Parts: sequence; C-alpha cells; structure tokens
Amino acid sequence: MANQLLEVKGIDVSYGDIQALWDVSISVEEGTIVALVGANGAGKTTLLKTISGLIHPKKGEILLSGKPLSNLKTQDIVDLGITHVPEGRRLFSDLTVLENLKLGAYTPSARPFFADSLERVYNLFPILKNRQNQRSGTLSGGEQQMLAIGRAIMARPKLIMLDEPSLGLSPILVKTIFDLIGTLHEQKLTILLVEQNVNQALKIAHQAYVLKTGQIVMSGRGDELLANEEIRKTYIGERVRKR
Amino acid sequence: MSDVELIVQVFINGILFGSMYGIAAIGLSLIFGTMRIVFIAQGTVIVLSGYFCFWLFHLFGIDPYLSLIPIIIISLLLGTGFYYGLFKESAALKDRIGSLLIAVGLMFFLENFMTVVWTPNPRAVVTSYGFFAFHIADINITLTRLIGLVLAIVATLGISIFLRKTLIGTAVRATSEDAEASTLMGINPNRVNAVTFAIGIGMAAIAGVIMATTYSFDPVYGLDFAIKALVALTLGGIGRVVGALLGGILLGLISSLGAYFVGTDWSQGIVFAVFLLALTFRPYGLFGGGGAGEKA
Repeated sequence: MANQLLEVKGIDVSYGDIQALWDVSISVEEGTIVALVGANGAGKTTLLKTISGLIHPKKGEILLSGKPLSNLKTQDIVDLGITHVPEGRRLFSDLTVLENLKLGAYTPSARPFFADSLERVYNLFPILKNRQNQRSGTLSGGEQQMLAIGRAIMARPKLIMLDEPSLGLSPILVKTIFDLIGTLHEQKLTILLVEQNVNQALKIAHQAYVLKTGQIVMSGRGDELLANEEIRKTYIGERVRKR
Repeated sequence: MSDVELIVQVFINGILFGSMYGIAAIGLSLIFGTMRIVFIAQGTVIVLSGYFCFWLFHLFGIDPYLSLIPIIIISLLLGTGFYYGLFKESAALKDRIGSLLIAVGLMFFLENFMTVVWTPNPRAVVTSYGFFAFHIADINITLTRLIGLVLAIVATLGISIFLRKTLIGTAVRATSEDAEASTLMGINPNRVNAVTFAIGIGMAAIAGVIMATTYSFDPVYGLDFAIKALVALTLGGIGRVVGALLGGILLGLISSLGAYFVGTDWSQGIVFAVFLLALTFRPYGLFGGGGAGEKA
C-alpha cells in the first residue's frame, strides 16, 4: 500500500444528540488530491472540522502518518501539518493582508520560516504583495480566496483541506482556483478538497469519496466516479440519455 | 467666577473623570470582544486596585504613582487567574449567561471581601501634592486629575500599539473577529483569552489608581463604575480601543454638563437616556462604521 498521509478510520461524530457522521473512513495518499463530494448537509464540513480537531469523534480514529490525532487540540494538529481553509474563507477582515498571513504562520513549527513562506505566497499570488497593507475585507472575492489559501500555506502544511474554495466565484475565477490547486499539487502538497463543483473536482482528483447523509456511499478514482452514471445524474445534474 | 469659566471648569472635570470610564471600558471591550463575556465585576476590580494603592500608601508610604508598578504586575496575574480559574469553561462554550453569573458572583464576593478588610467607610489616597492645582484664569485643574488623564491616554496608546505591533496582539484582534478561524490558524484560544483577561484587569488596575488619587471610594462603588464603563463602551463601539476612551470621555462630559445644566439629580438619568439612544440609533458606536461589531 502506498504511503498514506491521512487515515480516518470508522469515525462517528455527533452534535449533541444528532449524529452527523456514521462510521466514516477515508484515506489520503501523500502527494495526491482527494475530493470529497456530496449534497449540502451530507457531512463534508463536519468531517473536515473533525480532522482539524474542532469537533472530536465519539468513535474511531484519525491518523496523520500513522500518528493518532483524535484527542489533540486544533493548535497541535495545525502544528503537525494539517491546515483547514474553511468555507466562506473566514479571513480576518479588519486585519491587513500581511497580518492575516502572519497569523497563518503562527504555530511554533511555521514561525521560524515566516520570511520564506511569505516569499512563496507572494510568488504564487503577486497581487497579495501589492495589497499587503490593505484591510483584507476590502479585497475582491477572488483575492480573498487567494489570501485564504495563502494564509494556509504560511503554516507549511503537509495536508491542506479546502472547503468549497470555488463557492461564490465567477466561472473565470473558478478556473483560476482549480489551476491553483493543480499548482499546489505540483509543489508536492497533499490536498483534501470539498467541492460543490463535482465535475471539476472529480476531474482533478486522484481519489474521491461520496458522502450521503453522513455515510460514505461510494469511493474510487476521480475519473472512475466521473464516468459513473449515478454520480452524473445526482451530483452533476446531467440528464442520462435514454436509448 | 463667571458662568463661562464655570462651564469650562465643568467641561474639564467631565473629560478628566470620563477618561477613567474610558480605560475601564477598554478592558470590558477586549474581554467581551474575544470571549463574549460581560465582565460586570470590572468596576469592583477598579475599587480593589484603589484599596491596594491605599494600602501601599498608608502602610508602606509608597507613592501612588510608584505603586502602579506592583499593582499592574499583581493585576496581570490576577487577570490570568480569573480566566483559568473562573471563566475558561464558559468562554469555551460561549456561555454568556454562565459567565455573567460568575462575574456577578465575583463582584459580590470582592465587595464583601473589601468591606471586611477595609470597612465600608470611604477611603482616599491623600498625598502631599494632592491639592496642588494649576490656575488658568479662574479655572482649576488639579495635578492628580491631570496625571490621571495622561495615564489614561498613555495606557490607551500602549494597548493600541500592543494590539497592532505584536503577534499575540494581532491574535487577540483576530480572535475577537472570528474565534473559530483563529483556532484554525493554530492559535491557542486559552492563551489569547488569558492574555486578554490579564490586559483587561490591568486596565482596571490603572483606572483604580487614577480613582484613588482623585476621589474617595468605598467597597460598593464598583457596580456604578462598571455600568458607566458599559455605557462608555456602547458609545465608543465594541472592539475599538480608542473609541472606548473617547466614549468614556464623552460620557464624562454628558454627565458633568448634564449635572450643571439640568441638575445633579438628573445626571444619571441623562447618562442612561443617551445610552438607550445610542443603542437604538448607533448600536456599533458613534465613531466609525460597524466593522468590528458583534458577530452572532
């Protein structure tokens, strides 16, 4: 078996009395792009939050390079190399672009490399350098998404989890974001991608999982799932032609 | 003394007194901003600091302004202790009712503690230079009140610089805007909250020394102080440090000018009428936009 960076093994997650995830297992091989697709409310964000340690599973375990994460705090998980770009970007809008990036490199393992990381982010997104002293709330939607991803890169992650990065962006910017995900992949980052743009996500993903009402109902290579009639009908909205 | 001179005198007193509300409000603002805790015991902590100042002066002859050094150090430790000992759980759960009840309990405890230790009689720190005043025309400005205003301004600027220039200060501002997102940066929420609490109590301690050198006080004076600081905070806008100081000064002016023009009996009533008007029409504060307003 190839080198698994992240393994989620049979987790159950609940919010109070309401169970959100049932016996969910996924694994993310190092250096790949893994997509997580499914309808609204299927539990995709919950799974990311659980991996980040914002929520703790009732059952099961989560391993990063074989090391258990399930009972660690978020700050330790970030420090070990998992960063989570949440849905809606969640920038600190009152803070400047540079201040947002500084906080991205807050952890003890990332802080000493701040200058290098900043250069890397500015090379990826030159526009952010021009805007570094501007309040992040004044950026355009596309720039905000770049900053959100740049801020995550500042943490020098091994695994970057992107929750709906293309949500609310224009078609041109959606393409930019997917190109960028490709670039991050070329830079040897491992990516766990949650997307409502199922077609694009499956095209780019090496491996994909389909979540439905809190359970993994299907998994396979991205191109396999993309060819699956059920997937095309349910998530891509394509009419299946009858002969 | 002519009417004009009297009004100017009232005006100046309002500013001097209001600056004390202002720095108390800064502490409340930071604590509410990051932890959503209404720290109603803030005024009582101010009085406690006043008593420390009083003790250091009477028992050891330490000048009240020199006593700022040990008092600030003690207050930072006390603030950290309050957070870890009393408020950590409710901050994590964003339980505003729970934290408010704890703060009320702390306030009554401290009031009773101070009554036992220092008796309910009013105290004041009266130094040899306490009555020294500058006279310009017929207007008097006492030295201690002027020092109080300078201290308030210096403390406000100091906190502003801390929040802007240091990484932990930036983390405090980020947490105040979006606590969950700041956790995702790897920022330890407990550490940020404890630092914020320490600073909040530190500001109360400075306000306490200003109070002790300019007015007499008793153990139950704190609640009134905390409520005035809440009004100042509302006027200034939550999460805005300089706004809170300006809000306090504005409140001091409204209170003293109201007392002069309408009557002392009405002074409190006017303050709260302004509070209600501000909440109705400018809920994010009078200065600047709604950027740092509370997020649900």
